[in-house]
Parts: sequence; structure tokens; C-alpha cells
Amino acid sequence: MTLLGKLDWSAVPLDQPIIMGTVGGMVVAIVSILSWVTLKGYVPYLWREWITSVDHKRIGVMYIVLALVMLLRGFADGIMMRTQQAVAAGGAQGYLPPEHFDQIFSAHGTIMIFFVAMPLVIGLMNFAVPLQLGVRDVAFPTMNSISFWLTASGVLLTNVSLAVGEFAKTGWFAYPPLSELQFSPGVGVDYYLWSLQLSGIGTLLSGVNFVTTILKMRAPGMSYMRMPVFCWTALASNLLIVAAFPVLTALFAMLLLDRYLGFHFFTVDAGGNAMMYVNLFWVWGHPEVYILVLPAFGIFSEVAATFSGKSLFGYRSMVLATMTICVLSYTVWLHHFFTMGASASVNAFFGITSMIIGVPTGVKVFNWLFTMYGGRVRFTVPVLWTIGFMMSFVFGGLTGVLLALPAVDWQVHNSVFLVAHFHHVIIPGVLFGCMAGYNYWFPKAFGFRLDERWGKAAFWCWFIGFHLAFMPLYVTGLMGMPRRLQHYDVLAWQPWLLVAEVGALVILTGIICQIVQIVVSIRHREQLRDTTGDPWNGRTLEWSTASPPPAWNFAVLPRVHELDAFWAHKQRVLAKQRLPVRQHAYQPIEVPKNSPVGFATAFFAVVSGFALIWHIWWMAGFGVLGAAATLLAFMFRTKDEVEIPADQVDLFDRAHPVEVSL
Amino acid sequence: MTTETHWHVAPGDLPAIPASEQNASSGFLVYTIGLLLAVILTVTSFWVANTSVIWAPGVPAGLAVLAIAQMGVHLVFFLHITTGPDSTNNVLALAFGVLIVFLVLGGSLVIMANLNENMMPHTEMMNLQIER
Repeated sequence: MTLLGKLDWSAVPLDQPIIMGTVGGMVVAIVSILSWVTLKGYVPYLWREWITSVDHKRIGVMYIVLALVMLLRGFADGIMMRTQQAVAAGGAQGYLPPEHFDQIFSAHGTIMIFFVAMPLVIGLMNFAVPLQLGVRDVAFPTMNSISFWLTASGVLLTNVSLAVGEFAKTGWFAYPPLSELQFSPGVGVDYYLWSLQLSGIGTLLSGVNFVTTILKMRAPGMSYMRMPVFCWTALASNLLIVAAFPVLTALFAMLLLDRYLGFHFFTVDAGGNAMMYVNLFWVWGHPEVYILVLPAFGIFSEVAATFSGKSLFGYRSMVLATMTICVLSYTVWLHHFFTMGASASVNAFFGITSMIIGVPTGVKVFNWLFTMYGGRVRFTVPVLWTIGFMMSFVFGGLTGVLLALPAVDWQVHNSVFLVAHFHHVIIPGVLFGCMAGYNYWFPKAFGFRLDERWGKAAFWCWFIGFHLAFMPLYVTGLMGMPRRLQHYDVLAWQPWLLVAEVGALVILTGIICQIVQIVVSIRHREQLRDTTGDPWNGRTLEWSTASPPPAWNFAVLPRVHELDAFWAHKQRVLAKQRLPVRQHAYQPIEVPKNSPVGFATAFFAVVSGFALIWHIWWMAGFGVLGAAATLLAFMFRTKDEVEIPADQVDLFDRAHPVEVSL
Repeated sequence: MTTETHWHVAPGDLPAIPASEQNASSGFLVYTIGLLLAVILTVTSFWVANTSVIWAPGVPAGLAVLAIAQMGVHLVFFLHITTGPDSTNNVLALAFGVLIVFLVLGGSLVIMANLNENMMPHTEMMNLQIER
């Protein structure tokens, strides 16, 4: 046994100029950011206010920053694949060797699902749900911090795989037997498994946290049918997380046992059954689709109602549709493997359920349309993302209904038609939703709005670029082009793939616009300042407090008497023509104490994850012990709250007057 | 909160009415009853597995009944699931969990059995290879 397990200098791909260039760039960027932060003396501030923070708003912002950074990485992978396919036609091999191309498509899928879409959605829920519920924090604030840092550990391990070793070459779902030791002896699959195990535990803890928060901690008077729709969708999404993620964790644990200890769960020989992996993967995988898209539906509901100046059309049907999807999402998973050996009767059952699940989604689309119908719609950036979503998502959903027919699936499975379909629901559905939410809640988080002009430019680039990039794939898919081709011989596909490449470049322009939007908004923050706490004439409780909200969210917990509580309150004030008298009987408020336990746990988790990937057993033991000791020390702490004195609350409220207080 | 509100407190739950009105030993009593029932059910299932008193093909059914009873004891005495209004969330969560487990386990069994049926029998596959 060597001290460093399988790790030696051959793990660093020094002969690959593309990888080493990227790694060099990343190292330079990280080192320069770290030294800038250190030289400016920001480290104590960052440590105190962000890294150890257990405030749900701060954690939410960190989730979103993490997701946006990883969006750049995932997009870089995407545009590399598009470029490769644009040039590697006929005899040409393009610029990416096959084993590198395989890692890129695996990393692209893994990163975009687990490290972009999930943190974006969880970040927005973290930021908005407690504010919308009118409470001061989530149920378990320190656990929330642990969740975030575990997700960040998964991200870190995935990025380390770029420089040290390799990533999985198995596709983002790592089907055995290909992902078994026999066919993937390298560390790629181990990087995939351990980083997803760590971030998966984080996600599960988040799910538990949010279910508890929403069920147990609402403002006085907020019954279930008075909850904002975003909270309902967050509840459904987190119920799905709690039920689905243990399946994924158990599944990966079984594959790890196969790879590390010679078990035979999914191997070809000794009674293993690879189809069980496929089955269980999609038991998690299909609910995962709804874990991502339901909160986005909630954001669209909030945006449509707020910017139309109307209450949401069909609130009850929206709630019912959300909860129906929550249950039905567990009845359709076989449609991910129609062609892998099930008989016609089983396929028919799952085909029909897959079509049925489109119905509640259709109900939602009509509700949004009727919300906007007859309303005075303000065409702000979030509304553009919402309308763009509705137009493309219906199309993408229809190709989904098409694919729900097993007979059609036999024709186009494993083709880029499928690739076009799922990008067509996940980009307009999840990503557009998160972008709408990002523009919508940004003034609440930072106290100033985002620049409209650059925001609109970003939207149009994304919208046009998306269609240019993925519509051609439907065509080449119907022409028979399989997914994940490093090169191909059919020259008839090439013009379409060149169009797709142009689309990817237009999306790149959109991403650049978004970066410019942030820079411009920060520079012009004084003109964009939100002094009222309610920049959009909002309807729900988060707009009734200052922007950005204080650590305690609400000086006095709001009393809720109806749906759209803040809007109704404003209407009453308008009717009376009199602002309510501000009450000054402030009470001292207890807020949870900051804790480094999340960061420390994640540090040890990264150490043990890295050690397990490289078979450095002593270091793995050290990491596990360290994490256990950290949690144990945390359990023995005696003081877990800090009291904010009443006069400090009073002082904050005087310094940050809101127009209409509850 | 009005005075006539009747709180259904699950056994062992934190009391919603002031502790002074509660029998201090009731929590302990509940756990003891639960433990005794759980032990009885466990011992009985060991006995059922080895006995010749019961008609042999009935043994699995007997074990299943005892296992389900065991789950019920755990839910009521240790996890404090009752029919009271305090417990609505817990009951709904339990129902959701049972439904998902049923869908996932039942679905997986049906799917895997079906895939197995469609697998070409091992001998035939061997013949194919020999023919080639």
C-alpha cells in the first residue's frame, strides 16, 4: 500500500493542451480572486457574514452564485460539444479526441442538473420561501448551512477532476455495466459518484428543512390555502426531494459497493442485473424533473400575478395541479427506458401515465394565460422570461407527449431528437424560471434593481439563441442522428449543426449580457436603488419588509388574513386613505447564531471524498473522523441564538422605512 | 386559543396543555407499553418461524401479520401518530410515504419481472452463440 493510493503525477493530464489551458486559467482566476480578497482585508468579513452565516437569505445568495459560476462551466462544455459536432463531419475528427469528448458530455449533463439547476432552484427557495411565509428563518438554520457547503463540496470535487485524474465517460447517468470497474477502471466514475453522494446528502437535508419549515413555521393566520403559490410548489418539490433522493443515494451506494468491494448488484456476471440500476435511477430521475420545474412554475405564477396587477387566476386549481404532479411524477419513470426490454402492456401503461401528467401542466399554462388576460401587464425582464417560457415550453411539452408514445419512442430514442426535447423543457422551464426569479427577487436581496436594458438584451439572446441551437436537433434527430457523436459521416446533418453552433454563440452573447447587466447594475446602484422595499408593487409578504431585509426579516411577525396578504393590506390602506400608525413596541428578537460547522463538515467531506476516489485510506478515515468530530462538537454547544436588542430593531426600522408596513 | 379547545396530544408528545395538568409519568408509561408490545410481537414472530403448531404454508402469512402489527406499534407508541388534529401533518406525510413506497416497490417488481420474462432464456442464448 502506498501512502497516496492510486494518486501520482500521471493523474495530471500534462499532455492535453485544452485541459491544461483551462486548468491554468482556473488556477489563475482562483488565486487572483483569493489574493485580492486577502489584500483588501475582506477575509474576516466574508468569514463572519457569509461563510459561517446561517441566515437563509445569505445561504440562498451563495447557492445562486455557485450555480451561476457552474453555469459558465456547464455552458463551456456545451459549446465545446456544439463546436466539435459543427466541424467533425465526413472524415474530419474535429479538435476533441473521443475520450475527452466523452468526459465533456458526461460532465455537461451532471453539472447542469446537479450543480446549476438544483442550486439555482434551492437558492431561490432559500431566499424567498421564509420571507413569503412571513417567518424569520428556516426550521434548521445550521443544517441549511451544512446543506449548502455539502453541495459546494460536490462542485469542488467535480472541478478537481478536471485537473487531477478524469471525469466519468459514461454519460450523466452512469449506466452499468459500462460504469462498473470492469469497463471503467479509471477514477472518472468515482469522481462522479462521490461528488453526487456528497451533494445529494446536502440536497436531502435541504428537503427535510423546507418541508418542516413550510408545514410547521408559517406566519400567524397563514393557513395552507393562504400560502403563496411559490411556497406550495416549494413544498411539492421538497416532498419529492425527501422521497426521491434516498433512492439515488442508495443506488450510488450499491454501485460504489460493486466498484470498491467487489459486490455484484449490477455486474454482468454473478447474478447482477444492470437493469435494476436503470430502473432505480429513473425512480429518482423522473421526480427530479419535477423537483426542478415545480419551483420554476411557482416563480412564473408569482411573476404573472405581480406584473399583471391581478391575483393569480385559479389559485386552487394551481395548488391542486401542483400536488397532482407531485404524486403522478412517481408513476411515469419507465418512459426513460421504453426500448430496453419491457413488453407492450407495461409500455402502454407508462405511456398513458406520461400523457396524463401533461394535463395538470396544461392547467397551469391556462392559469397563467388567464392571469395575464385583462391585466395591465408591465413588460419587465421577469415578464419577458415568463412569456418566453410559455411559448417555448408548450412546444417542448408537446414533443414530450409525442415521446410518451412508445411507438414513437422506438423511432427516435437515443437520437438528438430526445436531446432537443429535454433541453426544450429544461431550459425554458427551469432556467428561464430561475432567470425570472433572479431578476424578480434581486432588488429584495441587494436593495437595488437590475438594469432593464441589459436584462432584456440577455433575454432576447437566450430566447433566440436557444431556438437556433435546439430546433435543428429535432430535424437531425428525425434524420436519424444519434446523440453523443464525436464525429459522423452524414454530410446532410452538417448545415443543421452549423446553425446549432450559431445558436450556441447567440446564447453565449446572452450570458455576456447577463455579466454586463450585473456590472452595470452595481455601478448604477444609486439610480436603481429600491427605497420602498416594494419595487414591483408586489402581492406577497417578502415585499412588506425592507430591501435588503434585516437578519430577522420582520420586526413584528405579520398577521395574515387572506391570500396575497400584502396586496390586500395595501388595498385596505388605500381605501382608508390613511397609513397605519407605525407601532413602536419592539421586542428583542432572537436569531440563530452563526456557525462554522457547515464549512468544517464540508471541508472534511471533500478530504474524505478525494481520498476515497484515489484509495488513500488513511486520509479517508481522517476526513470521516473530522466530519463526525465537527458534528459532535456542534451538538454540545450551549448557546445557539443571539439576541438582537429591541432598540437595534427599532433603529433599523427608522433607517429603512417601508412605504406600507403591516 | 380558546379555553374549550380540546387538544389531542399524541402519546409522548410535548403537552399542549400546561404540564401541571399532565400526569408526569404518562410519557414513561406509554414508552413502556410500546416496548412491551414490541418485544411480545418480536418474540412471537421467532416462535412462529420455528413452530409446528401452525400449518406450514401459513407461517409466512403469520409473520407478515406480526410485522404489520409491529409497524403499527412503532407508529403509535414511538412515532406518536394519532388521529388527532395535531397529527394531521404526520398522518399525511405517512400516507405520502406509504404511497411512494408502494409505487416504487410495486412498480419496480412489475417492471423487473416483465423485463425478466422478455429476456431470452439462457439456454437459447447459448444456442445462438453456438450457431454463429
